[in-house]
Amino acid sequence: MTQLFVERFPDQARLVRLAFFNSFAAFGIGALFGLIQALHRTDVLRIVESPTYYTVLTAHGVFLVITFTIFFLVGLYQWAVTTSLERRPVDMRITKAWYWLMSIGTVIAGITILAGFLDDPPEVLGSQLSADVLFTFYAPLQGNPLFYVGLVLFVVGTWLAGVDWFRTWWAWKGDNPGARIPLPTFMVLTTMIMWYISSIGVAVAILAFILPWSLGLIDSLNPTLTRTLFWYFGHPVVYFWLLPAYLLWYIVLPKLSGGRLFSDPLARVVFILFILLSTPVGIHHQYLDPGIAEGFKYIVMTNTMFLLLPSLLTAFTVVASMEHGARQRGGEGYFGWLDALPWRNPAFTGMALAGLVFAFGGFTGIVNAGMNINYLVHNSAWVPGHIHTQVGTAVALTFMAGSYWLIPQLTGNRLVWRQAALVQVLLWFIGIVFMTNSMYRAGLVGVPRRTAEPQYAFEYDVGVGSMTELDFQLALGGFLLFISAMLFLAIIFMTWRNSESEPIVDGTIPPALSGPEDSPRVLDNLRLWIAIALVLVAIAYVIPLASIVTRGGLFGPDIGPFPVFTDPMILLEYGSKLIGMVVI
Amino acid sequence: MRISFAKLLLLIAFFIVILVEARTVFAFFGIDVSLIGIAVTGVLVISALVLWAIRPGNDEPTEP
Ligand code: HEM
Ligand SMILES: [Cu+2]
Repeated sequence: MTQLFVERFPDQARLVRLAFFNSFAAFGIGALFGLIQALHRTDVLRIVESPTYYTVLTAHGVFLVITFTIFFLVGLYQWAVTTSLERRPVDMRITKAWYWLMSIGTVIAGITILAGFLDDPPEVLGSQLSADVLFTFYAPLQGNPLFYVGLVLFVVGTWLAGVDWFRTWWAWKGDNPGARIPLPTFMVLTTMIMWYISSIGVAVAILAFILPWSLGLIDSLNPTLTRTLFWYFGHPVVYFWLLPAYLLWYIVLPKLSGGRLFSDPLARVVFILFILLSTPVGIHHQYLDPGIAEGFKYIVMTNTMFLLLPSLLTAFTVVASMEHGARQRGGEGYFGWLDALPWRNPAFTGMALAGLVFAFGGFTGIVNAGMNINYLVHNSAWVPGHIHTQVGTAVALTFMAGSYWLIPQLTGNRLVWRQAALVQVLLWFIGIVFMTNSMYRAGLVGVPRRTAEPQYAFEYDVGVGSMTELDFQLALGGFLLFISAMLFLAIIFMTWRNSESEPIVDGTIPPALSGPEDSPRVLDNLRLWIAIALVLVAIAYVIPLASIVTRGGLFGPDIGPFPVFTDPMILLEYGSKLIGMVVI
Repeated sequence: MRISFAKLLLLIAFFIVILVEARTVFAFFGIDVSLIGIAVTGVLVISALVLWAIRPGNDEPTEP
């Protein structure tokens, strides 16, 4: 048994703990708002007025899918880079800078959202302090400028974190010429490349259009343009949530199962596919948007279906690793090996169940991605059903389970209440099935999402059971999830304070069965993959963006303060049409 | 106990999940199971499972 992470890198462990602290604090607040929504929508208990529901929903979305997930990511990635390269950051000041930028950004955006609960929010920067704009925040919804400022600081913080990890890797490469990038670091670097390529979209949307508009510097903007830029980022961001969970599935889960990762090369291929394919698909969120030609929607649909590939590869590799582990532990037979897995270990069980839910949620994702069936479920309760199986469970439950393994190594304390931790992950599993099953079914009969009053005055023609039953099921599921979330926080808190103990974890990660030596070197050629990714992005986006701008203007119809910018776009469009004609 | 406590909990969780989803699946085939029906099935199945699990196994010494 090797030394614990906290003993080898005390200052890094401290930083990871701080990042996790922010993450879990946001998780607690977000879960509370989730419960309020679940009870409000179903009319079981209403503690806010319905118009305030949007403040709750914005906070739920932002705290959970921005703060909780991304702070967990930076903590986990800091751990992954440090352990797999066996070295500290080149300059700890940068590390601190990104942590504080992200934290300050969160506080600013968080206060702006929560101020929406005040009866009479104060005036700041020329408008009321509030931002009921939901976590997607595109026009026409407008929030106080401070909300966007907070977001920008947060995103810049994540960019700096990426720089930090790249520098650590470059320094390592200098000392280890010719060596393959260790797998965890490879995952971190590829995730960050994807993040750089995609977050440019949201940065442009905010800095060039939404922020100046909310400050009153420009009168209007082109909503289709900002939506498109948002979704250019909005799909890759889901992989920004998911890839840290993948890292845990590939690196930690095989070890917890008692074995080793099945294939290192396959894992590398999967992460590269995400660099290539996660951005040129964003328009699949806009199947119902006017102003984007069907042909481009068709292209993104094809790309999206290709994105199933890395997920299927992951399912194969991770399950194969688990089976290998189970057989090492004496498991036998076609299915009998399942019995030999360490089910009493909450870290294992949580991650395994998260993976299972992810597989089923993935099928609902295929429904979302299909252009024609999407029309059936678009903006219905089906979509939060999908969201909660994917980021709300595949990711969130993996993070919770992973914490049961990581926190002892980061604190040097033994995990408390192991059985309660097992109950916690099972409770989440049950809760999510109750809640999402109800959301899916409600969505299929047309119950809308994002509303405090889903029933209005309609009588929905519920296929099975009744609306009352669906409501009850949603409220019950939400309640179980909330209890589970609180139990998780209590266990982590008590473990954090359990300093009079010795942890019983072993942080060593055994080498893969098929190691990096089996994978072609080209997989580590990050420059090549970046170049291909950029070409794919250009194919998917240049013409749609150009036609959105020429049709609706950069700043909305008839308002073109900088015609200089639009002209090249028109040229480009004509140019591409010409090329198209020549080719045909 | 025939199986560990952890596995018993896991099986119970799985049964609940399967029951919830089974009702939806049955409906796809036009078979409507009532809420009461599924609840009663659930209670029966889970009780049976628990009873089976806490009985000592054949080849197991009868101490906890
Ligand atoms: C305590 C557990 C939770 C409960 C009870 C809960 C409940 C809900 C409900 C009822 C909605 C639908 C609101 C509506 O459309 O009117 C919703 C939306 C959402 N939830 Fe959760 N949730 C929980 C946990 C999570 C987690 C862990 C995540 C992600 C990590 C998450 C992410 C989201 C997102 C992104 C939305 C959509 C927000 C929007 O439409 O703007 N939730 N949640
Ligand atoms: Cu998407």
